[in-house]
Amino acid sequence: MKSLLYCVLFSMILSQTAMADDTKVAEELLKGKINAVILVLEKKELEQQTQKKEIIKIVMPIFDFSLMAKLALGKKYWPGLTKEQKQRFSELFIKLLKDSYSEKILLYTDEKIHFETPVQVKKKVHVPTVLNSKNNNISMLYKLYKSKNSWRVYDIEVQGVSLISTYRSQFDEVLRTGTIDDLLLKLEKPKNK
Amino acid sequence: MKNRLEYILFIFALAFFLLSGCAHDRKKGSTPHFDPTAVSPVSQDQDISLSKETPSDLEMNDEFFDEFEEEYKGRSGRVADPLSPWNRAMFHFNDKFYFWLLKPVSKGYKAIVPEVVRIGVSNFFCNLGTPIRLTSCLLQGKMKATGTELVRFLMNSTVGVLGFGDPAQKCLKLDITDEDLGQTLGVYGIGNGFYVVWPLLGPSTLRDSVGMVGDWFLDPVLYVEPFGAKLGILSYEKVNETSFRIGDYESIRDAAIEPYEAFRDAYIQYRKTKVEK
Repeated sequence: MKSLLYCVLFSMILSQTAMADDTKVAEELLKGKINAVILVLEKKELEQQTQKKEIIKIVMPIFDFSLMAKLALGKKYWPGLTKEQKQRFSELFIKLLKDSYSEKILLYTDEKIHFETPVQVKKKVHVPTVLNSKNNNISMLYKLYKSKNSWRVYDIEVQGVSLISTYRSQFDEVLRTGTIDDLLLKLEKPKNK
Repeated sequence: MKNRLEYILFIFALAFFLLSGCAHDRKKGSTPHFDPTAVSPVSQDQDISLSKETPSDLEMNDEFFDEFEEEYKGRSGRVADPLSPWNRAMFHFNDKFYFWLLKPVSKGYKAIVPEVVRIGVSNFFCNLGTPIRLTSCLLQGKMKATGTELVRFLMNSTVGVLGFGDPAQKCLKLDITDEDLGQTLGVYGIGNGFYVVWPLLGPSTLRDSVGMVGDWFLDPVLYVEPFGAKLGILSYEKVNETSFRIGDYESIRDAAIEPYEAFRDAYIQYRKTKVEK
């Protein structure tokens, strides 16, 4: 009986440390990438276009853009698309994500990024960060899942607003009344700025 | 008109003479804070080859999909929108108002007024908002936060010179608890009701609008007479706040496919998170 108890206790401790390791690994990975992005942003002598490219290069391995595309349509719509539609949608949506991410991050001036303790949520790891900007703090939550070879970001929440969730409801709005081709057309249309 | 000008000048004068030393001095070009030991060397080339972003794996395992679906099902920013035509018109109006008036004015203001002054002004208005936060914390039974708000108010109004400085944050690390009556109603279990977009004030819901009216009664600025002065102060506050956020609205709007839905969804999610906090 006692040995069983020890056994259970031991395995519990083991799984605990494994969990702690997981969150640690995810956090360190993200930290490394974000710090590398900041280094690029600080190279003010670079052209914005070059900066954008560099940043995308850095975050590519850790941001799972193609998963984001699937999640943005959700199980309700994604499986119903033809192979070509899936391909086209992913291309367009990923481009949109990359553009808006790199554009948004170029607004960065001299904020400090503060990492808070990561949280394990089921199989995922949430890494909360706070951007101390001029006169307020902006919370940014990176949500990561464990893919085959490493931890990857599948969603970002800014001030509690999930990127994926917001796209889901927009796409739902378009697809409720229109077809997937309407949606593709909207994604193709360049924004009037 | 004259009164309003006087008020603005008064605030300006105060700001200029009193606070240069008190406001947060966020130095330009300071390096971001991070633990140097945590920086892992990034070898980009290797990383790139590791995961080419080709949408080749277009199929998704059902089980894997469900794992994520669960997360998004519960937390969408869905809300009733019976006033949709009005709301869309107001969204459009606010959009134009921002680009044609608020943004150029705030940009000009930002160019003229030093950052340290703008931060001081922002602190001043934040301090004036204490009654709203204090009451809401109290009504939600958040005793620690209530205490924090009280200490912040006393300290910033005195040592911080009428709230232009924020020594409570700087020295005691006391952050504000951003509560309002709309959130308080949410904590009491009252739902959003429906979505509504107000001209100039922006997105809200029935619940948050009721809260907002309550908040007005707790806002000292609303007791300023005459009406012109009140309006002047409120506009100035808005311009000052916007001067820190030029580009934010645009970036969200440009990343959206359906901007109206995007902002509606974002507002509901944002408020939901705040209520839960």
